Amino acid sequence: MPTPVSVARQCLTEEAASALDDAVSVARRRSHAQTNSLHAVSALLSLPSSPLREACGRAWSVAYSPRLQFKALELSVGVSLDRLPCVKNVEEPPISNSLMAAIKRSQANQKRSPESFHLQQIHSSQQATSLTIKVELKHFLLSILDDPIVSRVFGEAGFRSYDIKLAIVQPAVPPASRLFRSSCPPPIFLCNLMDGGSHFPGSGEDSNENFRRIGEVLGRKSGKNPIIIGMCSKSALESFLDGVESGKQGVLSAGLDRLSTISIENDIGEGVKMSEKFNELSHELRHSSNSGVIVSLGPLTSLIHEDGDAPQQEAARYVVSELTALLKAHKERLWVIGAAESYETFQKFLSQFPDAEKDWDLHLLPITYRSSSSSAQIFSTSKSSLMGSFVPFGGFFSMPTEYATPSSSPFSGSQCDLCNKKCAEEVAALMQDGSSTSVSDRCSTNLPSWLQMSESDSHKPMDVSKKDDRTTLNAKILELQNKWNKVCHSLHNHQPVFNLAIQQARPEVVATDSFNVAADPRKWCSDGSPISGNKCPQVAASIATDLHRISHQEKDRGAHMASQAEQAHMQNISETNQITRIGGLLPSQKLPTYNLLPTHQALPPSITNVGTNLGLGLTTVQSESVPEKTWDGVPVKWRVHGHQGCTQQPLGSPSSSASVLGARLKPPLGDAQQSSPSGYNNFEMYPDPQDFKAIWGSLKGNVGWQDEALCIISQVVSCYKSGSLRRLRFGKDLWMTFLGPDVAGKRRTALALAEIFHDTKRLIYADLSSQKGIRPTCTTCEFHELQACEMLRGKTVVDYIADELRQKPNSVVYLENIDRADPLIQNCLSQALKTGKLKDTYGREFSTRNTIFVATSTVSMDGEVFPSNTESDYSEERVLKSRRWQMQISVESVAAEGRSSKGMAVVVTSQKSSATKRKHSDMDNSSELDRGTGTQRRSDKLSLDLNLPVTDVEEELDDVNTETETSIEDSDSWFKDFLGQVDRNVVFKPYDFKGAAQTFLEEMRITLQSAVGFEVPLEIDDEVMMQIVAAGWQCKEQEAIKWWIRQVMRRGFLEAHQRYKLTADSAVKLASCKGIALEQQAPGVCLPASINLK
Amino acid sequence: MGNTILEALNVRVVGTSQRPFLVLAHGFGTDQSAWQRILPFFTPHYQVVLYDLVCAGSVNPDYFDFGRYTTLDAYVDDLLTILDALRIDRCAYVGHSVSAMIGILAAIRRPDLFSKLILIGASPRFLNDKDYHGGFEQGEIEKVFTAMEANYEAWVNGFAPLAVGADVPAAVREFSRTLFNMRPDISLFVSRTVFHSDLRGLLGLVRVPCCIIQTAKDVSVPASVAAYLKSHLGGRTTVEILNIEGHLPHLSAPALLARVLQRALLSR
Repeated sequence: MPTPVSVARQCLTEEAASALDDAVSVARRRSHAQTNSLHAVSALLSLPSSPLREACGRAWSVAYSPRLQFKALELSVGVSLDRLPCVKNVEEPPISNSLMAAIKRSQANQKRSPESFHLQQIHSSQQATSLTIKVELKHFLLSILDDPIVSRVFGEAGFRSYDIKLAIVQPAVPPASRLFRSSCPPPIFLCNLMDGGSHFPGSGEDSNENFRRIGEVLGRKSGKNPIIIGMCSKSALESFLDGVESGKQGVLSAGLDRLSTISIENDIGEGVKMSEKFNELSHELRHSSNSGVIVSLGPLTSLIHEDGDAPQQEAARYVVSELTALLKAHKERLWVIGAAESYETFQKFLSQFPDAEKDWDLHLLPITYRSSSSSAQIFSTSKSSLMGSFVPFGGFFSMPTEYATPSSSPFSGSQCDLCNKKCAEEVAALMQDGSSTSVSDRCSTNLPSWLQMSESDSHKPMDVSKKDDRTTLNAKILELQNKWNKVCHSLHNHQPVFNLAIQQARPEVVATDSFNVAADPRKWCSDGSPISGNKCPQVAASIATDLHRISHQEKDRGAHMASQAEQAHMQNISETNQITRIGGLLPSQKLPTYNLLPTHQALPPSITNVGTNLGLGLTTVQSESVPEKTWDGVPVKWRVHGHQGCTQQPLGSPSSSASVLGARLKPPLGDAQQSSPSGYNNFEMYPDPQDFKAIWGSLKGNVGWQDEALCIISQVVSCYKSGSLRRLRFGKDLWMTFLGPDVAGKRRTALALAEIFHDTKRLIYADLSSQKGIRPTCTTCEFHELQACEMLRGKTVVDYIADELRQKPNSVVYLENIDRADPLIQNCLSQALKTGKLKDTYGREFSTRNTIFVATSTVSMDGEVFPSNTESDYSEERVLKSRRWQMQISVESVAAEGRSSKGMAVVVTSQKSSATKRKHSDMDNSSELDRGTGTQRRSDKLSLDLNLPVTDVEEELDDVNTETETSIEDSDSWFKDFLGQVDRNVVFKPYDFKGAAQTFLEEMRITLQSAVGFEVPLEIDDEVMMQIVAAGWQCKEQEAIKWWIRQVMRRGFLEAHQRYKLTADSAVKLASCKGIALEQQAPGVCLPASINLK
Repeated sequence: MGNTILEALNVRVVGTSQRPFLVLAHGFGTDQSAWQRILPFFTPHYQVVLYDLVCAGSVNPDYFDFGRYTTLDAYVDDLLTILDALRIDRCAYVGHSVSAMIGILAAIRRPDLFSKLILIGASPRFLNDKDYHGGFEQGEIEKVFTAMEANYEAWVNGFAPLAVGADVPAAVREFSRTLFNMRPDISLFVSRTVFHSDLRGLLGLVRVPCCIIQTAKDVSVPASVAAYLKSHLGGRTTVEILNIEGHLPHLSAPALLARVLQRALLSR
């Protein structure tokens, strides 16, 4: 049972009661049946100087800009208010139970709180009859914040209500605006510069910072003689002396005024004049009534002499010694000042007069700013245009009126012209004092209804108070300016803040997380929502929001044509209103968008813009509603695919250009509706994910050699799909690590996984070891499917992953070299593991639901690096590094004695040119190859190109290694931690390169024999062999390579045989043409489609 | 005064306690959020002090006293006040653009306070002079100022991509945001101050070891300036050239910069 307002008022102090009245009026305006805490919050926030607002200001979190957060708060309050049911004409909406409970709570709190104890006693003694305690505003606020609705609203805006409570409880620190006031005059703003033009900073020399600092030094007890250092020191010194001479106020502090200056710089070197000067000086010091004398040395360069310049040296010595004597005699009344262009000059001076620094009690004063007249002139010339552009009411304030001196202007030039004009008009009207209705009232008829509403708060106090003394008028003007500033901000000119907000909001629309999606419109509603007012159903309101939001975005596109966009925007808003109103009047249905469609078609062509927005709105609305429907009650396995289908369409559409969208308004609608069935179809096309065998088979088909690992993976994945995975963590995502060697095998497995779940495009790849995430290109082991993520500079890997995840939800995220991840990624991944949300560097969160994370590392769980097959020729590193070059066949005749055994028909020759590899090749010599081929190979080496970039590549890699070493220590512990947290660690075993190589060699031997007809020795270059092995490694099966040997190589051999008529004495050589990229690739394998013949 | 300034300039100290202090000072047109993506690299090893320059958009414009902030020394006062208020007796300092200048001046005044200066995109003077190439002619600057006056937003939209220098939309967006947050008159005033400042004569007074980080192509700072700084700074000075473009490496290539910073901080 609601409580009447008057009863509630009795429990409150005057201040709190007035806040309650405001709340009631908010409720009345919105035609709500009851006044609840939200109304109170809304009312409290709308006051410009409310304690709640102030507390929020102190509690804002650093992650967001305060302005943005306030905006968000206002929006979320507005939206929540819109949700409340409306009734017709309640004169004074009674206080709801929840708000009344809050008041009661605050009463109880206040009773308990010690600070008010005595107060309460006074109360009770005064009015013994009524036991009610008058609740103070502070306690009222605190208990309102306890209300769950309120704390939710604050939470949505990124505030934590306990922060705010803390801010309310803690006494506010003295306003920081006092910060510089104590020592300095109040801040000067452009608007109050008009009275005294000389006050313009920089132009008026009396406000010069340089003077202040020089004066400060002069006023000190020790080190009081400044040497000004800096490029502009000379001019600074001159203008300072001028200032002292002309006795300007503020140049010197009190007690130091009435100083006289003597400049000796021009007289140095002229003996007679010099001594006259010193006589004059000592006379003055003794007899003058002045408080002191400043001796200016001018630039120190005049005292510095070159070696051998005896007369000058003498003169300088004289000056220095005289000055030293005088300074000793008149310590209190004599100052020396000099200027040095740079520190080097000063050092030179010191080297010649080493005692000067101590005797003269010098102090170095760096001066950085040119206080010359040139800058003053710059300022003064620019003034007029400054006034025009920055001070919105330049014209107004320059009017010769006694009122035109407000203390400060609260705005920047960020207000738009329209609002400026309106505001100026209004202020002018106020000045005339004739009309009681403000301009905004009149012009508000032209404005959208919701704008009128938001204004009405600020109007009231103004119309009521009609006192005409100057201070209130100024206050009014300020208030007006504030109001218009606010209006302007809410209407037009908050792009920079807003743009960002849009970008933050957009991903949420397409994000899979249904909560986010649902929350999204709520956040952005309030701009548009009040339009809906009483009649509009909630759904329409959310569409309105979308429209509005996107219309902002539309504006963003045209931001370069600012003024034009401004107008268009105004138009947009009013027309958007029209549409939503029409939409709002229609009964709410399952798909209100249908109702809107004809409306749009009926609109004149001039507002296609709005229509476009409508289209965008449709797709977003669809994406919100459909997934939610399919989500509930559908088994897990369906969800993945159904959802995927749903999101696809809206995904594409917002990014397409506006015109295209305008043209195909309807298709998105249809697509979105049909999306769930298409999801089912998708599902049929792939092996049943629940079936372990199917998964295993599919993986095995891709990576034939990793039986054990694949078995584990298949188990984990099938368990994950069926939901029976025993988890260490909470979350609907799957985390695995692939440890050990076999990079290609791991990649293949990841690809296969992506294929099982969706398609190979749903693989997000990032190599965490390289800074830029770009892998060296052109290697044989390049995977086309792993589209080299050309990460943009400035995009961290985290952002890249988050972005990809946003575009392709439910993907397989494949992260290589997890052990080398930088702290940024480490944090991000740990958090994603724990919370199921991936947070990018902007603080946006993306759900990792239904995402499979696969992280790989060559480091084992014990922190050991897996031993790569060093004893073999074919280590994984070498194979990985092999490049895709064209191959060529050459034929040589071999002397009979050179050929040894017939058994070694096919040999691999190594061709390592770099010194680093020499040892390795020597080892090859002794171990594998007989002497005969050894000599041949040496002759072969003559044709080598020594400029090959083999070593370069290695050095680059080494660089990377050393760089990452520093961070390795920290990441070690993190890595172990990470391994402990993931769902499963799978260890891969090394790939049998040697075995594969032998198979291929045998195949080649047979091929050559069959092509030529008899046994011919075949020498294969090491590089080529690497290339072939690498190709075999990344192929699904070795058959493809064998096929390539039988086809491509055979063709090459045949050609060679035709041209050179091979005999038993000839040897066929297969070498790679280094530097020449593949001309054409053979189908299915990363090997050349044809082999050149030399 | 101390606490008030901490609040007014949004001073934050994040990171691991008992670790050395590291001050990250942002440059013109940004605020402390510019370090956001650098920060995670340093929080485990340092107590990182972040603050906003008084001209930043995130600071209440009322604090910007046009009479006071006519020279960089007022900014130096702010910095030193902050460090004193936090009772920091020694710290490493990373300053970008104008903050690099501020750092130089602060290190001259209080050499014991700073263990190391890392200057990103620093320039002792932006205007050309005889025998000195600062990158800007007086006339050009006047044109820029006029453009700023005429239409701040348009200027921001044009300047931001230029300053970021590379095709990194996110960085451009971020820089435009913070740049636009500044009140135009303050922005103009500060850029005048910066452009008319001249630190060349003072560089010799710096005794603190410095590391100059410079990108390969920077619209605001020509490469010769880094060499000039190296030869004129009084302390031991190293130069790191980042092989990227733009004046704002902490926005456009945070990971790269973080590594270089780490290295610079560790080296002696």
